[in-house]
Order: sequence, then structure tokens, then C-alpha cells
Amino acid sequence: MDEYVVEMRHITKRFPGIVANDDVSISVKKGEIFALLGENGAGKSTLMSMLFGMYEPDEGEILIRGEKVHITSPAHATQLNIGMVHQHFKLVENYTITENIVLGQEPRARILGFLPAVDIKGSDKKISELSKRYGLEVDPRKKIEDINVSTRQRVEILKMLYREAEILIFDEPTAVLTPQEIDFLLDIIRGLRDSGKTIILITHKLEEIKNVADRCAVLCRGKLVGVMDVASTSTKAMANMMVGREVSFTTDKKPANFGKEVLNVEGLTVKNQDGLTVVKNVSFSIKKGEIFAIAGVSGNGQTEVADAISGLLPSSSGKILLDGKDITAMSVRERTLTGISYIPEDRQAVGLVLDFSLSDNLALKKYFKEPFCKKGVLQEEAFDENGKKLIEEYDIRSGQGITTTVRSMSGGNQQKAIIAREIELSSELMIFVQPTRGLDIGAIENIHKQILAQRDEGRAILLISLELDEIIGLADTIGVIYNGEMLNMAPAETLTAIQVGEYMMGVKAV
Amino acid sequence: MSSIIIQGMAFALPLFIIAIGGIYSERSGITNLALEGFLGFGAFFGAAVVMVMTGGNVGSLEIPMFFVALIFAAIGGALFAMLHALLCIPFKANQVISGVVINILAVALTAFFTSQINTVLLGKPTNKFMLGVCHTFTVPGISKIPVLGAFFTDVYYYIPIIIIIALFMTYLLYRSRFGLRLRACGDNPHAVDAAGADVSKIRFIAVMISGAMSGVGGICFAYSISSTFSPSIYAGYGFLAIAALIFGNWKIGPTLGACLLFGFARSAGYKLAQILGLSSAFSDIIMILPYVLTLLLLVFFSSSNRAPRALGEIYDKGKR
Repeated sequence: MDEYVVEMRHITKRFPGIVANDDVSISVKKGEIFALLGENGAGKSTLMSMLFGMYEPDEGEILIRGEKVHITSPAHATQLNIGMVHQHFKLVENYTITENIVLGQEPRARILGFLPAVDIKGSDKKISELSKRYGLEVDPRKKIEDINVSTRQRVEILKMLYREAEILIFDEPTAVLTPQEIDFLLDIIRGLRDSGKTIILITHKLEEIKNVADRCAVLCRGKLVGVMDVASTSTKAMANMMVGREVSFTTDKKPANFGKEVLNVEGLTVKNQDGLTVVKNVSFSIKKGEIFAIAGVSGNGQTEVADAISGLLPSSSGKILLDGKDITAMSVRERTLTGISYIPEDRQAVGLVLDFSLSDNLALKKYFKEPFCKKGVLQEEAFDENGKKLIEEYDIRSGQGITTTVRSMSGGNQQKAIIAREIELSSELMIFVQPTRGLDIGAIENIHKQILAQRDEGRAILLISLELDEIIGLADTIGVIYNGEMLNMAPAETLTAIQVGEYMMGVKAV
Repeated sequence: MSSIIIQGMAFALPLFIIAIGGIYSERSGITNLALEGFLGFGAFFGAAVVMVMTGGNVGSLEIPMFFVALIFAAIGGALFAMLHALLCIPFKANQVISGVVINILAVALTAFFTSQINTVLLGKPTNKFMLGVCHTFTVPGISKIPVLGAFFTDVYYYIPIIIIIALFMTYLLYRSRFGLRLRACGDNPHAVDAAGADVSKIRFIAVMISGAMSGVGGICFAYSISSTFSPSIYAGYGFLAIAALIFGNWKIGPTLGACLLFGFARSAGYKLAQILGLSSAFSDIIMILPYVLTLLLLVFFSSSNRAPRALGEIYDKGKR
């Protein structure tokens, strides 16, 4: 009986319009790394939020160390030695690391012998010791606003350890980290297990599970699909269970059929907000039915190339021709109307208005035209109709249909909404920047299919991605950008992944 | 010169304690434009208690009655502030609108009750409570030092009291557990919630503290500037306190500097009017000096200031 530290039995949780968890039961053993695998919106975070006391289940029961409990708040969960690192960190930016960790359980000292106060010096020392003990070195006196994401994550982990958590929940911990940081984090997680902690890892990345987890539960659309031993299950089997159907890791690509030239960029130079030249004299062209992919390590100017073409950033010299027309001096809207669709890198900040409804977001690039707007008055029916049509056609899932606030939708569905809106523009040129960032396998597969379908329809496509696999899988022509310069351009079939990788690192000069 | 310092301090310190009240509220994340209403209602409450206790005639009880007024002004301010706290925290009202409405409400309520109380006590419905002026003291010896001595000459009783309260409030905000959590509420309430503290409760208390501090400041104004409680207490000092705390970047130390600047600008203005021999009609124009200064400072300092991150945001546990 006491073999399991956490048992969740027959848990059901409903939100307006959605059953987030449907009769889910899991049991976690002491001292293991238990992974929860599932697509975005499969109900992993909801399940763990209930274990951490942020919601209460509608049905079912939770047992901690064999005892039935009603976890009513995060504070209560903390008392039960449960800790959680949220996907969005909960840190006070203008506080030091120490202050953030001790907040809520501050050690006391006395000023002038009688006034109770927070013992900051003592806390600093404690945090130092704690961080050394678990190999999570931090400088306790640094402020959160001055430290990077991976250090912030360490602070969140230390927060749990300071509260003597025995059951540690990690919600998508690697989503914000670089590959090296991910390796380091996984080492830390292993170390924590070896020191006797029980770990629940929420993720949709299969390699991570293969890498650290002992057992793994798969959720799909709110339901538990199965629990398996990681060591004896193949990655492919896990992926199929997670998506609920066969997943093809390879994309079917029809032979290319190039038409006339659509986009021609000549000697493009772009300065960023700080006045630094981030794109240097870049020239390339894209034909109808061609996917031109720009590969490169993040921060080498690829985003700025896309922003300059779509008009978000001014180009300081060079020419951009779309279908033979010079669009270099045009505004963003003029370019859109001339024929550019843009799927931006930051879908939440640039692509959507998060607090608007889904139907409004789906009409964002057309609202000023008939039938959406007649004589300066918006036509609500047109918005609704357009929304319903796109939701249907592109399988955008949301709680309340067209009236759903986009903020409440999962990342994959937000991206589907943007892609639906942009494809509907029927532009000659489509720009995709990091179209699959942060999405799960099912959504990635879907988006790759869409991109290929657009190519086969004869659109010119500019794809910018940090994922080498994505580029190799989709591109007809590959350009590699390094330090703002286009190093090499060649048909995709003449390049291997290793060669592209070398160009990306700037190893091979032209 | 010495009168500039004496009068400047007499104005700056009540303003400072009101601004501290504002800092408490805003650092906890609740926008507080209601300081004006709080200081007026607090002052009214303190003055009304004195009036009722003395039957409308303060007479020779001026000094003990000042302390009674001070205590009840704080209580009255805190109670009145609960209105703002209730609207903004459990009912999630817009904090700016709540603040503005409370200011208007305070003017109307206090005018009405003042005349009602006067009708009962004195038989005539005037809108003033005659309080007398707060007594002063001069520290022997030190007050003889040139220039600096003025800080120790003709000091209103309330000045050392305010200094003591301000020191305590500084300790409470920056060194105590409560203060640590309160400031965290204004930056990221989700962190406080996750740490197991009650965001709503902390904010509620913070707003009540701002009411109490405003009440203290308000009654000091009533006892110095006008020696009465009357609707003239609503002269925009609450808003001046807000300006001071913004210049002070929501920190107590720099806010003191801003308050002293306002105080000395005001008293220097009066002195100037006196020297120039302006008639009282013209000297009123000197009253605009602190406000002109406010506008100028706004131009220069606003860009470098940073408000608490969660200021004015309604706390919703579910939102990420």
C-alpha cells in the first residue's frame, strides 16, 4: 500500500465546454521519475494542478502516502511536501533570489533586540548551502530581473527544496531552455531522484522521457491511454499512443514544380532597434511552388529578414520586389494586400490579440474590407461566418467556438488559427517563422502538411526555422544565415544535415 | 529664512505621511487615487470625535484633544479606506474609478455630517469644526544654531509624532515579513499565492493602512493650515502626495525628498508674496507653485520611474 506516494483515482475535471480530465487514474512510486506525456491540451497540466491544489477535481480522489486528502490550496500542497515548478515562473522580479525563495516562510531575526524582521543574511547563507547541496549553484543576492531563464528555473527548484518538498512536479521544464541547459536540467532531475525525491515530469518531448523517466503515463484528449515502462517501450510506440494514431516522422513530399519568380530580395540590409546591422547585404529569390528555407542558429538575423520583408522592420538599404513590384517602401498593410502572408515567430505577441475572440482574430487581416466592414460599420455576421468556416476547415479546437478568448486556447490551436487566417488571404508569398516552436508532434505534423500543401498549390514559401530536421524535411532550397550574412544557398537535395550544420556554426566560409 | 523652514516642515511632513500611506497601497498592487478622500474623511472623523467629546467647545482642552483627534483620524481613515479595499479586492472594481468616486463621496459625506453635527451641538448648521491650532515647542539650545536651528524652532507637536510613525512604517515595509510579502504582491501576486500567503488579505490591510496614514496627515493639516475642519481640507494635497510618491519611485526615502521639496516650495512662495507685498488676492496665485513644480518634475522624472509591476491589475488566480 505505501509503495505509492501519490495515487490519483478516477479523476474527472470539467471546464466550460471541455472535459480536461476524464476518469484518469495514476499512481506514482516513491523515488521514481514519472513522466506525463501528451499533446498540448491533453490535460497533463490540469491533472497536476489538482495535485498541487490549484483546482479541485469534480470527481475522484487523491491519496498521498496512502491517505485520502482534499488538497484545497497550493499552501496545503506544500504542507503535504508537494512542490511544483510551473511553466510560467512565479517569481518577484525586483527581489533577490533569496527573498524569492524564503517568501512565505521567512526566517526571523530581531532588530534592536525586539522588532521582528526577516533575517536576510541568515537566509542568504541557508540558500547558499541548499544550492550547493543539490548542485544548483546560484548567487543568492542577485535579483531575478538580472538572471537568465535557466537560473530562474533553478530558483523555482530551490523554492521547492527549501520547503522540503518530497514530491516534485515539473511542468514542461525544458520548453524554455537551450539544448545544453536541458542536459544540465535532466542531470539535476536525476540527482534529485537519487537523493530520494519523487519526480513527476510533464512533457511532450519524447527524447526527454526516454532520457530520464522510469515510467510514463500517456494522456490523449483528457483520457489516460496507458502507463508503460520507458526502458521497454520504443519512442515510436509512445508517439503513436500520444497522438492516438500512426505518426509519420518523415514527410511525404511531391517533386517540386517551380513557376515564375515571386519574391526577389536584393542587397537587403537591416538595422535593429539598437542601430546594429543585423542583416548584411542579403540577396535571394523564391519562385512559385518553392519552399526556400533559411537555416541558422538563433539570433543570426533570420527573424529580421522576415520582419523586413513583411514590413515590421524598415530596411536600411536594398530592394524587395514582390511579383516585380517594388514593395520596399510600402506599409505593412499595403504589403499584405499586395500578397504577403506572415506567420510570425511570436504568435502571442505579434500574431494574435490574446484577449479578443477567436472570430475577431480570424478576421484581423480583412476586417476593413467587405463583407466584414460596410460603409465603416463592422458586420458581426460576417465575422461569425468567417470564424465558423475556418474553425471547421482547419480543425481549430477551442472551448466555446468562435467566442472563445484566444488566450485560453492551447499553443497548437493558436498557431492553427494564425495559419488558417494567413492561408485564407491567398497571398502569393507566405512567410513562416518558427511555425512549430513549442508545439507537440501531432500539431507539428499537421503544420508541415499545410506548408507542403501550400507549396503544391503554387505559392512561394519562405520558411525560417531553428530546427534543422524541419528544414531538411521541407525545403526545396536552403540558405544558411550566419552573423547576418547568407553563407550558402543550394538546392536541398545537394546538402546533408551535417553540411548545413557546419554552415550554421560559421565553420565553412564561402 | 527660518519661517520658510518652519512652515515648509509643517506642510511637508503631513504630506509625507499621506504619501507613505499611498506607497503601502500601491506597493501592494492597488492603485490609490483616493488619498484625498481618505485624508478628508479621516480628518473629519477625528475632528467630529473631538467636537462630540467637548460638546462643540474645545476650550482649554486643546492639547489632549489634539491627540484624541489624531488617533480617531487614523481610525476613521482606515475605516473609510475599507470601502476602496472592498470595491477593488473582493468586487474587482476598476481601481481608478473607485478612487475618484471615493474622493467625491468623501466631500459630500463630510460636508453633510459636519453641518448635521453642528446643528445638534451648536444649534447652527455651519460646515466648520473650530479646532484651534496645534501647539508648538522650541528645543532650547539647538534652536539657536543659525539656519539649522529653524528645524527645532516652533515645531508643531505632530512633527515628531509623524517622524516616529514614518520610521516605524519604513521598518514595517522594508524589514518585516509583512512588508516583504506586501511588496511582492505589487510585483507578482502569483508568487505570493504560490508561497502560501493570502494576496487579498495583504492588499486589504495595505489599503487600510493607507487610509490610516492619510487620516493622520489630514488631521495635521486641519490643525495647522486652517485650524478648522472644513471642506477647504480638500485642496488637492492627496493628489500632491500621489505626485510625491511617484517622484519618489514608490520608495519611502526619495518620497521624503519630494515632500520636502513641495513643502519648501510652498512656504518660499508665501514668503515671496510677503516680501513683494502682494495683496491676499494675488498671494493666492502663489498657491499654485507646488503644482507647477509637480508638472515640471513630471516632465523630467516620469520616464525613469518604474511603477510596481502588478499595480492596478485585478488579481485573478487563473490568469497566467
